[in-house]
Amino acid sequence: MSYLSLSNVTKQFGDTVVVDNFNLDIDKGEFVSFLGPSGCGKTTTLRMVAGFEVPTSGKIMIEGVDITDKAPNQRNVGMIFQSYALFPNMTVAQNIGFGLTVRKEPESVVKSRVAEMISLINLEAHANKYPYQLSGGQQQRVSLARALANRPQVLLLDEPLSALDAKIRVSLRAEIRSIQKALGITAIFVTHDQEEALSISDRIVVMNAGEMEQVGTPFEIYNFPKTRFVANFVGSLNTADAEVVDPTKGLVSVDGVQFTSAEGTKERKKGDKIKVAIRPERFSFAALQHKDNVVDAKIENITFLGSVVRIQVKIGNTNFNMDTFNNPFLELPKIGSIEQVTCSKEAVLVLDE
Amino acid sequence: MSFLSRLRKFPFWAWFWFLLGALYFILPLLATFEFSLSWDPAIPFKAYQRSFEDSRFWTSFIASNIFALITIFASIVLVVPTAYWIRLRLPQARRIVEFITLMPFVVPAIILVFGLIRVYSTPFTIPFTDIVFMQPLTQFKLGTNILVIAGYMVLAMPYMYRSVDTGMRTVDILTLTEAAQSLGANWFVIITRVILPNIRSALLSGALLTFAIVVGEVILASFLGVTAFGPYLFLLGQHRAYEPAALSFVSFLLTWFAMGLIQLVTGGQGQAAGAH
Repeated sequence: MSYLSLSNVTKQFGDTVVVDNFNLDIDKGEFVSFLGPSGCGKTTTLRMVAGFEVPTSGKIMIEGVDITDKAPNQRNVGMIFQSYALFPNMTVAQNIGFGLTVRKEPESVVKSRVAEMISLINLEAHANKYPYQLSGGQQQRVSLARALANRPQVLLLDEPLSALDAKIRVSLRAEIRSIQKALGITAIFVTHDQEEALSISDRIVVMNAGEMEQVGTPFEIYNFPKTRFVANFVGSLNTADAEVVDPTKGLVSVDGVQFTSAEGTKERKKGDKIKVAIRPERFSFAALQHKDNVVDAKIENITFLGSVVRIQVKIGNTNFNMDTFNNPFLELPKIGSIEQVTCSKEAVLVLDE
Repeated sequence: MSFLSRLRKFPFWAWFWFLLGALYFILPLLATFEFSLSWDPAIPFKAYQRSFEDSRFWTSFIASNIFALITIFASIVLVVPTAYWIRLRLPQARRIVEFITLMPFVVPAIILVFGLIRVYSTPFTIPFTDIVFMQPLTQFKLGTNILVIAGYMVLAMPYMYRSVDTGMRTVDILTLTEAAQSLGANWFVIITRVILPNIRSALLSGALLTFAIVVGEVILASFLGVTAFGPYLFLLGQHRAYEPAALSFVSFLLTWFAMGLIQLVTGGQGQAAGAH
């Protein structure tokens, strides 16, 4: 039996279905991210687990106990907010100890747990400071410690890094992950940042328009997107209309240029219209490596992106992006020249609509 | 920069209107103060001395202060949860409540007091029966005091509600509430330990305005026959010349002291976002 389960959870606001028949089982100690664009229902789902929204239908269970109708303060769930939500009238220590004092824990327990949490987030020197005296990153760490002090069954993180600058975001997400792993706490992390979700999660739930598009490990989500939405949302991707040429060999045609795909065409018939996708980094120049698909491509543009160089090529009448790692001795082709580019048959993905 | 160009940049008209406004307020006050000192040139503060020696002054002043404190407490108990709930769950009701809180500006105190007397001077019976539910409040002291405090609460409501509402606007009420709830807090804990401390400057502003209104109020207390500072000052003004001027000046000083206290506590911003 799973630790946290959401069964057929639906949420409607008036006639608008915000979350539609959501089913998910999460194991103890697992870190699951809800990834999707704004308005896809990820925060609403999280808020239903927290108890701030009541599902229109469906059931939410933690350790086999139905918590669907329990008030937020009756659930043992910790929540971290994008805006930190620290109590401005309390010091760091008082904020962290708030939940424990509400539960009327003995003062000795409150003191020792607060000290433990403060050392966990490395803010020993700031225990008596007020939130306004801390930076954004420090405030969010206090918020994490406050949520963890109650030893919650599930930790919910609602875009906790969105308000922070890029460097702190990266370091804090690593810190959150290591604390979560160390404590073995089950966590749900809501984000619209794919890099964040890919780097931090055990599993990712990609959501779109209130529905789950795909659930899988970051590796699966990135490398084997099931739908066009997932493929487009996670990472950058070339998509093109194609026609099945030979279903048994996985042969497809994009504007008359033939590619072989390792998967997904066997259930289709010759002449079927499909969508194929190839990640930019899966292309390389045929002169360097020779893979299953070798096609002629016209170099349209070259953009320097730091660690990566993005080359726009035209294959047939379709534009594709091709990424190659930058190095100081990289020899780039001339714009307007025709080069042979290659990709493996595993790189050619056939998408469900 | 030459003197002429400096002169051109001097905001002459701004200063002109500011000084004109200041004179409009300060001159009558100075005149009152000067008049209060002119009773006996040998004893300049004779009017003040006489006023403070009068036991009725102290009785009425203390009574008004007690009324003010009870009114402040009752107003906070009524207004804070109302404003909080409207911000949290019923934002669509905000306009209606704001309209209701403005009613004391539209309905004069005299109408309010006659309404109170008319409604509460007869026993309350349960409709279609002879069962007396409540004795007329105007016929016993506690009942009259309750009526006068209820009336004060109505008069102070525009100020108290606006102060509290403004205070809540500067704090992220919804997120703080949810954060407290997720940590196991119930509504009482949320209001007393999270909301109230974070709007305490706003509460203080509302409380001091309420205090000023109650201490200076005449009509409610006069018509309900309650001992209070307002009616005392009014009666004194009808029979004496110098003491009312002295007490008016003292009232101004008290109000200024209260306003200074607001400035001090709120750091001159009128409202602090948090407790600091």
